[in-house]
Amino acid sequence: MVDDLLDGPCEEDIAIAMFYCDFHNQQKQTTANIIGAILKQLLVRGGVLEDVRSAFRKEKAEVGGRGLRLPDMVRMLKQAIAALPQVFICIDALDECIPKHLLELLGLLKDILQESPRMRIFFTGRPQMEAEITKHFITGVIVSISPKTHDIERYLEKKLEMDAEPYGMPDDLRRRILKVIPQISSGM
Amino acid sequence: MDYTAYSHNTSFGDSNVNCNNVTNNHNKIANVNKVIADENPEIMQWLSPLDPRGRHQDVRMDRFDCVGSWLLETKEFREWRSNECGVDKAVLFCHGDPGVGKTYLR
Repeated sequence: MVDDLLDGPCEEDIAIAMFYCDFHNQQKQTTANIIGAILKQLLVRGGVLEDVRSAFRKEKAEVGGRGLRLPDMVRMLKQAIAALPQVFICIDALDECIPKHLLELLGLLKDILQESPRMRIFFTGRPQMEAEITKHFITGVIVSISPKTHDIERYLEKKLEMDAEPYGMPDDLRRRILKVIPQISSGM
Repeated sequence: MDYTAYSHNTSFGDSNVNCNNVTNNHNKIANVNKVIADENPEIMQWLSPLDPRGRHQDVRMDRFDCVGSWLLETKEFREWRSNECGVDKAVLFCHGDPGVGKTYLR
């Protein structure tokens, strides 16, 4: 999806920031680290970058200098977004984020969106997350994702093409794989 | 964290259906992403130790071109993408059970 946004025809310049929430990396994926990861994808020369740079130097000069404070990070993110023609933020697997951080993140994104009318946000997550999304973004558009038979067929064909030992598989088995798996999977 | 190189990779990525547009947009993206990561890796690390672009490259490598593109044709996606509906359609949430392919949508 991200690549399609980049490749697709568009009249304006676009900038994309993405984030993949990951169950295995939950401890590191704090709200501040996620906002920071989004911000650094949207920094261009000049402007906000200079603010970031001076904040960095200031912190470094102090003993025990820490990271940027979350409110400062949010302020800089808003400025960075305002300086770009159009911004897409894509966040995958919301349910893999620690709930405390997720709620904070959604609240901040809501706040940022209110000041950034040209911004677009794309989320994915399990169905249970819908309530949180609609709570924060009342007019958010919801799409249900289910495996498409066509996609499964194409995926299997590709996987079979990549089989390192294709001669080990009888034609009959290949045909059954291509027929049965899509039938079962699309009934998920 | 070589963001500039990333822009190149992405724009010459695996869905070059509209070659003219791709080249055009490549220039546009390169302009927008005048990213400074090369000269400031320490600052980028300080901002956040997380590197989502690296993860994105992994997903791209694992994904098959032909799979998951149906979303792009939906009314919901097009409206969200087009920006014509303003703030009302600013958020798109795709939900599905584990393993249905949400990460690999395209």
